Amino acid sequence: MSRLPPAYAELHCLSNFSFLRGASHPEELVEEAKAKNYLALALTDECSVAGVVRAHMEAKRHGFKLIIGSEIRFDDGPKMVFLAQDREGYANLCTLITTARRKAPKGRYSLRLSDVKNGLPGCIALLIPNLDERDVGAAAWLNEYFPERAWIVAELLLGADDRAQLLALRELARQTKLPLVAAGDVHMHQRARQMLQDTLTAIRLGKRIDSCGHALFPNGERHLRLRAHLAEIYPADLLEQTVRIAEQCNFSLAELRYEYPDEILPPGETVRSHFHKEVERGLWRRYPEGTPPAVAHQIAHELAIIAAKNYEPYFLTVLDIVNFARGKGILCQGRGSSANSAVCYALHITSIDPNRSNMLFERFISIARDEPPDIDVDFEHDRREEVIQYIYERYGRDRAALAATVIRYRKRSAVRDVGKALGFDEQEVDQLAKSLVWWDRPGNLRERLTQGGIDPHSLRAQQLFELTGQILGFPRHLSQHVGGFVIARDCLSHFVPIENASMKDRCVIQWEKDDLEAIGLMKIDVLALGMLSVIRRAFDYVKARDATELSLGSIPEGDKDVYEMIQRADTVGVFQIESRAQMSMLPRLLPENYYDLVVQIAIVRPGPIQGGMVHPYLAARENVRRGGTIRYAHPELEEVLGRTLGVPIFQEQVMQLVIKAAGFSAERADQLRRSMASWHKQGTMDQFERELLEGMQARGYSESFSRQIWSQICGFGEYGFPESHSASFALLAYCSSWLKYHHPTVFLAALLNSQPMGFYSPSQLLQDARRHNIELLAVDVSHSDWDCTLEGPALRLGLRHVKGLSKNGAQRLVAARIEHPFSDLNDLAARAQLGKKDLQALAGSNSFGILSAHRRQALWQVAGIDNSLPLLRGLPEKDKLTVLPTPTEAQNIWADYAHLGWSLGRHPLALLRPRLKSMRSVSAEELHACPPNSNVWVSGLVTGRQRPGDGNTIFLTLEDETGNTNVIVWHRVAEMQREALLGARLLSVWGTIERSSGVLHLVARELRDHSALLGKLDVRSRDFH
Amino acid sequence: MQWIALYFPPSAASTPSCSFEGMALWAGRFTPHIVLRDAGLLLEVEASLTLFGGLPALMHALKTDLSAMAYSAQIGIAPTARAAWWLALISPGRILQTAQLPLISKFPLHVLACSDKQLAFFESLGLHNIGDLLRLPRAAVAERCGQALLDSIDEALGKRAEAHVFFEAPAQFDVRVELPAEVTQVEALNFVLNRLLIQLCAFLGGRLAAIRGFEIRFEHRDIAATRLTIGLLRPSRDTGHLTLLARERLGHLRLTAPVRAFSLHARDLVQWGGENNSLLQDETTEAEEWPKLAEQLRARLGAENVQGLQLQADHRPEAASQMVEPNSLSAELRYPLRPLWLLPQPEPLREQGAGPYYKGALKLIAGPERIRSGWWDAKPASRDYFIAQTQDQALLWIYRENGRSWYLHGHFA
Repeated sequence: MSRLPPAYAELHCLSNFSFLRGASHPEELVEEAKAKNYLALALTDECSVAGVVRAHMEAKRHGFKLIIGSEIRFDDGPKMVFLAQDREGYANLCTLITTARRKAPKGRYSLRLSDVKNGLPGCIALLIPNLDERDVGAAAWLNEYFPERAWIVAELLLGADDRAQLLALRELARQTKLPLVAAGDVHMHQRARQMLQDTLTAIRLGKRIDSCGHALFPNGERHLRLRAHLAEIYPADLLEQTVRIAEQCNFSLAELRYEYPDEILPPGETVRSHFHKEVERGLWRRYPEGTPPAVAHQIAHELAIIAAKNYEPYFLTVLDIVNFARGKGILCQGRGSSANSAVCYALHITSIDPNRSNMLFERFISIARDEPPDIDVDFEHDRREEVIQYIYERYGRDRAALAATVIRYRKRSAVRDVGKALGFDEQEVDQLAKSLVWWDRPGNLRERLTQGGIDPHSLRAQQLFELTGQILGFPRHLSQHVGGFVIARDCLSHFVPIENASMKDRCVIQWEKDDLEAIGLMKIDVLALGMLSVIRRAFDYVKARDATELSLGSIPEGDKDVYEMIQRADTVGVFQIESRAQMSMLPRLLPENYYDLVVQIAIVRPGPIQGGMVHPYLAARENVRRGGTIRYAHPELEEVLGRTLGVPIFQEQVMQLVIKAAGFSAERADQLRRSMASWHKQGTMDQFERELLEGMQARGYSESFSRQIWSQICGFGEYGFPESHSASFALLAYCSSWLKYHHPTVFLAALLNSQPMGFYSPSQLLQDARRHNIELLAVDVSHSDWDCTLEGPALRLGLRHVKGLSKNGAQRLVAARIEHPFSDLNDLAARAQLGKKDLQALAGSNSFGILSAHRRQALWQVAGIDNSLPLLRGLPEKDKLTVLPTPTEAQNIWADYAHLGWSLGRHPLALLRPRLKSMRSVSAEELHACPPNSNVWVSGLVTGRQRPGDGNTIFLTLEDETGNTNVIVWHRVAEMQREALLGARLLSVWGTIERSSGVLHLVARELRDHSALLGKLDVRSRDFH
Repeated sequence: MQWIALYFPPSAASTPSCSFEGMALWAGRFTPHIVLRDAGLLLEVEASLTLFGGLPALMHALKTDLSAMAYSAQIGIAPTARAAWWLALISPGRILQTAQLPLISKFPLHVLACSDKQLAFFESLGLHNIGDLLRLPRAAVAERCGQALLDSIDEALGKRAEAHVFFEAPAQFDVRVELPAEVTQVEALNFVLNRLLIQLCAFLGGRLAAIRGFEIRFEHRDIAATRLTIGLLRPSRDTGHLTLLARERLGHLRLTAPVRAFSLHARDLVQWGGENNSLLQDETTEAEEWPKLAEQLRARLGAENVQGLQLQADHRPEAASQMVEPNSLSAELRYPLRPLWLLPQPEPLREQGAGPYYKGALKLIAGPERIRSGWWDAKPASRDYFIAQTQDQALLWIYRENGRSWYLHGHFA
């Protein structure tokens, strides 16, 4: 005869959001507690609720009861667990965590008993006793502040003497008159995670596991134990108490009702009336002649959806921020699914005209689902801080904070930390972690181990392999999201705790973007974009020179010459389509309109490349160009894939595809997107795969097609790019291309004055400018401003390029010059009050122009200027007699590179050309005249090294006096000639010329480091790994 | 004046660790006029030349010692200390006579004691050697680079007197050497030991002294240093003899932990003219200290048979204590409820009925205590421990492995 074991609720449980303590994901804990028929589970991470949203979603799925709480170790007292009973208790708990977190540096907390002044109404307190004299004091405190709401916890974990411990606890309970309750100090969902839990402990302590000693738990009992076992361990009354407590905790995250900020309203207006008026006003500005009927129709449609969802305050909040930026002359541009709407166009949140491409606007429908609206706004990168300060000022720091980003274990960090814990030495671990660049599948770790001289069958290696797999995706710490702001109507810390970020005066909430979405909190991404600074500057320069006012919306669409330039891949400096990978796609895709650019930007991404979408799309384009038609596996797919010729390119299309073709609900499709985007648990993905294959089969798709779709989805992974973002980027790509073509000098000045940004260094930008015959004038104290300026048709380089020159010094110099031109060096030093460092920087960069004979003379002179006597005028005669040797051309070029990072003199390779010729090395220009498939030597400065997504090749860019050469280095060659590859500044490559669709590559066979020829030239490659 | 500069380049493979203090003590053998530099020594040997029979003989003795210590030094010899040092830096092995001092103008500017920034300044001006600098107007140079720079050139040229701070030798020998990497093998320390003993004996020779004993200390990362005291039956300053003694002792030493640093201390110096080979028993030994007792016991019973016991932080009972060197320090750990003495090998127990059996059925009176640990090495444990009572009331500590077989692990005394 078997009786059911007594009911049990686990009230003390840590997930892996108690970083490096808990060894299970919150979802796993909930799932396990449900499977073991627990009455409820309290997630009580240490001073954190960062994992509760995940647990909540999982609990919702199972119809399981989740209690929210937190474990806190007081600075002056014992460890306690607080459980939220209701909404008020939850708010009080969040506020307490906020207090504790705000008192300590990032990632830590500090709390004294006296901080719990109000006794946390709505919370239950559990005392985790030390079994020493301190317990009695703590219990007395609890009796005072948590009357009838406090328990002492008995955690029996098969230790050395559980029986004695229980007796002691009974005695304590009797003395303090507090009831005793059972709990499990749960650190993992199943016993099998003990190895991982031990490993986490070792990582936390920064030690090897075998020297962690008693810091490790003696056994794996801190898991969700079977109720039958618990019944053997705990007396029935202790189990019964868990039920009583669980019954008193009835708060659910579903109760959180987010309220939008309300200061956006003028008096006398309702949110809706005000919103409609704003849209109306916007339409007047956009369409002074009257709104086109199609747009009016679209607006009405969107307003209806917004009204149905009560999203007006969201749009109004974004509008408020955008209006602030516009008032300050800060260029901005919205993107994201809600941004590509006629409403946002009317409100000037985006400049994408609904007439520009009607393909985009069906995307707005997505908010008809339960997704909260999502608008990212890009601002000029050097002025975004003003916007952030405005938000803090307007809403207050207790109401506005940044979302968190959970930093998780990735392959390299996992191997590094687990390896160290297992006792691999630093070097082995380092080498392994580095080798993982090429690790595309987990299986490859075995190979890597062998190559690193480690026996893959050894115990340690097996353990490394297994534990690394388990720890992947585990959260490591909270970091700040790049710009996702959460704004609440009242105190934000009533919703979610706020903690310090590493940046001074920044705080983050404990939830990340997905959590916010799931709970329905509003988030606005305030992002920084360098290209917006460039474009705004270019607009300003054009206005100053030609008195023409340009704006993102007013640049004429469809300029044939601009598209021809883009098709030639003559795109150095323009937005997005300037990278090497983008450039080699341009002559193949040949974009000829705005929507082509939207595709171009999204297709050169690891997602579509790994998903194998590139070639089918190019083939389809070619087919259509020749008058062919696109055939779809099923006619209903045309609606989803028509605009990309039958090939899924965008993230949205993949979502629509699984809805249309496999019958996923919108919610399920969204879950799939999230699983792809973040931590994928293999089981979850398998489940999705089954659902997809079955769904597609039921709708009559062939299995091979279904499998192909699935592998595309997997390839997409986290790298799929949304069309709604690409659309916004494409606009900026076009605008910057238009500026480059029509106002090349202006565009160059704007680019140089917005550095550092983009793919190319100033040196590369100047090389490109010279190839486009832009007249460049040297930095000169008698002519240059801080920024680069336009001097007639030419560009005068600015003092900003002089390394080591202070901005203040440069500004004083310019101000003094405007008063009166400088008569000599001493006059300059005295009137501009320049320090020695500034003067040396100017002398070293040869920026004194006519004021000195050459840079050496200038250096000698400024070294003699006595700064302590700023009014001293006139050089002592003897100094004028000191004559230093005139530098040679090569010496001047070397010095230019050292002090400016570039030279207007000849390209260094031009000086070396005779030498290179004798080595039979050809120039970039000559390379184009060589027959395809021939083998040649090419030499150049290494200006870029890139390792694209799949990691099997390295792309090099070599620059010489005639242009750039693109080199492909295959893995095998790279491994064999690693030193030359990674170390050379001047590299010679023996390789085979490959040419296709107007793109020329050199496939490397042999590499030689010729840096020695350069002497001391300071050339740094821009490496992107 | 005759200056010898010894420069030890920091990267040279033969100088894994340099203790210039020790080198200065050694150099006392050649002259009392020693100047310590960041990476070497300067010796003024004019007065010692007669004693050694001329410069070549002195250089021979010096080089012999250096190679015995496995040091490779760059040596420069010149009439001024500065010139000798510069020579050692750029042209080791050369001797500069007084008449040749003007050659210094060919020396590269980097020999000067100036900052990298200043060197970069010279380079940007196209100045390469000392002569280039001297060609510029002196006042202008002084204004830009400081008078000290010109002074140092003048000193090297012998145009200006040099001021020196001479090394003052201490009365005792205490020299410590940081090892470049942790050492676990005693043999690896012989090399450093040899070097220190050569230095010690040279030091003793310089002061006409000998020692009655010395101490070697091995420093570890977390635990107290291991000390080895070596007493001599008669005073000595013979490198060979001391080396032999020390090696013998080292040969028996088993390191408890890797060694990070190593030092040699000799404080008990006696004046001693030299060769006295008579074997006089030293009667004043015998401090009845525990370490010495342990040493003696170990010598008689064999080192394996005299051990200390230390608690280890490990959940597995068999790994919770460890045999160590008798006088090692013990960590602060609590000993849980379990027998002090465990069986060397757990003894399998028969099962009878439902329970374990040891001279009769056992009664489980406490437990289980679950130990599941040690998966990271080859001896993982997964056991439930019980205190069991035998028929005759004795208490045993027994466990069940993986929920199956029973074992006896110890007797409660």
